[in-house]
Amino acid sequence: MDAVDVSDHYEVTTSEETPSLLSIVLDTNPRAWAALGNVLPLSKAIANILVFVNAHLAFSNSNQVAIIAAHVNRAVWLYPSPPTAKKPTDTSGDVQMQDASTSAPPGSANKFPQFAQIEAAVLASVRKLTDETTGEDLETTTTQLSGALTLALCHIHKASQQLSAAGTNLEDHTKSSAATNPMKGRILVISVSDSEPAQYIPTMNAVFAAAHSQIAIDTLSLSGDSTFLQQACFNTNGTFLAASNPQGLLTYLMFGLIADTEARQSLIPATHDKVDFRAACFCHGKVVDTGFICSICLSIFCEVPENTECLTCGTKLALGNYGAKPAVIPRKKKKKKKIVNGTVREDTGSGAGTPRA
Amino acid sequence: MDIPAGRTLFKKKEGILTLTPDQKTVTWTPNSGGPATVSLPVANITSLQQTPDSSPKVMLKIVETASEGADPVAYLFHFNTSEAKSEAQAVKDLLSRIFVELRSNDPSIPRPAVSGTGTPSAQNGQASKGGTPASMALGSTTTPQPAAAHWFDDNHLKNDIELQMSLMKKDKSLHRTYMEAMSTKPDSISSAAFNTQFWSTRINLLRSHGIEKHQKKGAYNVLSTVKPRTVDGELKLNISLEQVQMIFAQHPLVKRIYNENVPKLSEAQFWSRFFLSRLSKKLRGERVTDSDPPDALFDKFDANDNTQAIQSKIMAQSVPHIIDIEGNEENQGGVKSGNAKDVEMRPRANIPIVKTLNSLSEKIMANVAPSDTIDDTNVSGYSYGQLALRDLRGDEKENRIILNVTEQTQFFSKREAVPSANAQAFAKQNPMDVLFEIQGDLETLDDDGAGGIDIHATIGYNEDSESDEEESANRARRPHVGSRSVIRAAEKEILQGISQQRSQKYGHAGDSTTPMGLSSHLAEKCALTHATTIEFLHQFWTAFLSGDPDRAAELQYLAESLTNSAARISAVADEATQERDETIKRRKQEIREHYERTGKKIRWKADMVGGGRDAVLKLMQPTLDALEKAKADYARALAAEGIKTTTEN
Repeated sequence: MDAVDVSDHYEVTTSEETPSLLSIVLDTNPRAWAALGNVLPLSKAIANILVFVNAHLAFSNSNQVAIIAAHVNRAVWLYPSPPTAKKPTDTSGDVQMQDASTSAPPGSANKFPQFAQIEAAVLASVRKLTDETTGEDLETTTTQLSGALTLALCHIHKASQQLSAAGTNLEDHTKSSAATNPMKGRILVISVSDSEPAQYIPTMNAVFAAAHSQIAIDTLSLSGDSTFLQQACFNTNGTFLAASNPQGLLTYLMFGLIADTEARQSLIPATHDKVDFRAACFCHGKVVDTGFICSICLSIFCEVPENTECLTCGTKLALGNYGAKPAVIPRKKKKKKKIVNGTVREDTGSGAGTPRA
Repeated sequence: MDIPAGRTLFKKKEGILTLTPDQKTVTWTPNSGGPATVSLPVANITSLQQTPDSSPKVMLKIVETASEGADPVAYLFHFNTSEAKSEAQAVKDLLSRIFVELRSNDPSIPRPAVSGTGTPSAQNGQASKGGTPASMALGSTTTPQPAAAHWFDDNHLKNDIELQMSLMKKDKSLHRTYMEAMSTKPDSISSAAFNTQFWSTRINLLRSHGIEKHQKKGAYNVLSTVKPRTVDGELKLNISLEQVQMIFAQHPLVKRIYNENVPKLSEAQFWSRFFLSRLSKKLRGERVTDSDPPDALFDKFDANDNTQAIQSKIMAQSVPHIIDIEGNEENQGGVKSGNAKDVEMRPRANIPIVKTLNSLSEKIMANVAPSDTIDDTNVSGYSYGQLALRDLRGDEKENRIILNVTEQTQFFSKREAVPSANAQAFAKQNPMDVLFEIQGDLETLDDDGAGGIDIHATIGYNEDSESDEEESANRARRPHVGSRSVIRAAEKEILQGISQQRSQKYGHAGDSTTPMGLSSHLAEKCALTHATTIEFLHQFWTAFLSGDPDRAAELQYLAESLTNSAARISAVADEATQERDETIKRRKQEIREHYERTGKKIRWKADMVGGGRDAVLKLMQPTLDALEKAKADYARALAAEGIKTTTEN
């Protein structure tokens, strides 16, 4: 009887709605932002991102957000703020009273308190981060992305653990266990700098971990050449967008990246179809398109390592036909060959008198 | 015995194909006189092929391999007289007979172990009679079936033309690629060399095909497959010679009855009576009911005789004591305790099927040559090892490869990467200025008057602004963040991405057969050209990267074939243009006629017609790039060489 009723249908859809956790990794490389300053200053970018965050939260009450800064020397939590010594913070992303009360007691009447909360936390953390950054920190010019990715993954994992544990009543519990993931987690990387080849291994480790737990990594690349993030998006079914007009940041975010992993199944992503699949070699950190791979540990080398021993696992590698004469030596071999070749060509040329291509 | 002679054309010259009196050499003597120009020792002939009877031309192809590992050379003789067929047949019959004799005596060719009956000579007789039937098609050769070891010999596979033909018969697209590549290869590459090249990259295909072809079905329970049907009260029986042989092998009792009775009884009668008899039911393991008519001939035999006889054969084989359960019983004085045997092990008269199937399986297995022969002397030790209770032992030492991962960060110490554009920009920056700039920028956020920031103002989106006036106002300076123009640009970019993804996911209508407006005929041509080009590229790179000076000449030819490939692609493109032009012309004509008839104009533009050169080039661009790269690499290697040779000289 109930099944005939239309309301039943609505009930099912609402109860199946799983919360969506958006983790934003913001590349805060000061050099890159300074270079980009004329086009899109960091302050405007943060404002735009906050609008995007608010939009995400407005979709559903249960939606959550986490913002992490990937700085040149470390990864820093922007929101939720890292736990202070006095009070352990609620990592589930709930309202944190002490932040709001200390920084802005009354709050604007025109702003939803949670939004103001996030805004305040993010701004405070970013300011703190830039104030703490010293000139020496800027010696490294590229962003430590893998750390931020790892933090985001851990956070998503923790949040989904909490969520499944929180479902104490039987109905909730069965539902959450039936679904593969109690939470739709995804990571959005807003990148402004190049991929650092030295970060290849940790970055790809994070990417594979994300792919394993069905977390999509999206990337909005405002500048720089983020090779590894392209692969990250490809591997995790995420969306990769390279913005040719960084000023339109909000449009890219709202138009191309607002859909969560579930909504995405019924949409066509705007992702760029060009993926740079090249990997960085383990020996020199060069990005290579052709290289050698250790058959035991799959390490990548741009040239045959010393003593043909794998640098990572120390396995003595045997080289096949090709490897026995790597790129340079066949040329040497060819020398002989070309002499033969040359004579042949001369012979035919003079004998037959026909020009040869 | 007469030596047959055939009047044949060889290399467009007339002559006589025959054998020397000692039958050791095949010779071909031109009619124009002079000594024999072709003389092939029979021992060197690796295969023999003849055109099928249906073919109007009668040709005999003899493939000779002068020495082990040398390239096989094919000689094609065309029998052009009115008695061509009979002459060709005579020559071929003699050759194949000599050939088979030669092969069977050749100890170097491994042969499958001859099991049981049949002396080698009898087999040869069979082979020479049955192995070269008159209807031998081109491609089936008299080469004896190679033994298993040959599947692992790459050279043998490369030269086994019969196998290659049969593979191409199975794989049509491979056949087309082969024919296309063969017809378009540069003349400077010989057919044999091309053949070797072509197959050398496909050894794995050949091997798997060969092994697949040579797998046979083993013995099976044959009685259960023969099902006599009663049609209009008459018994219909379809039974092949093979099945009869198998019945005899599996059921010695039937063989005995057959031997005793068949001359007296007609064969057909024997079998029809057998399949209706109670005995056949018993042998199949079916239940015998009283309604089954008894047969005087068959039913006096007990089906158990059959079972027993063969069981004793199995029992006669020596069973290692360690697994001989009966021996154990004897040793312990037998089972005399009160415990009855398991119900399945107790003799029951009315469940014959289990017993029948068991005995049948035993019989089938007894006829199969064992693949796991174990040395008899070791057998007890081996069995002992098999019987050992392994789970009573302690944990075995883990036998894994230990992966010693060294600290990875140290690898990157000697980096020498070229700085990217970004890195170069960063290098010019002064860190302190950068910091100051960023910190200052963060202070510029608009205050909303309540401790927060005014996001609305910061994102710079002006709802009231009309894009046109804004644009004119902004023309002088660069568009600010969130202005109409950049939003439009961003939207456009995203929509482009979406449409790109969409077409990738769902494709365009009718794309699969007529990509980019090319006709299916041209699309097919593109596909074929592509396959051929890839084949030549493949061959080129194998030769180029082999670093083998012996292949230098070959490499030159292959490089030439790359140039030809590019020309072929442009030829296809030309054809596409031509086709497109014709389509346009036809359409224009139609429009003109339509206008003359009805006075109405049809809006139409030539751009609406797809295909043409652009489409082909777009499809083939990656292939062309690959060709360019190969040619450039080759040219570079040549140039490097050129410098080298001049300095040396």
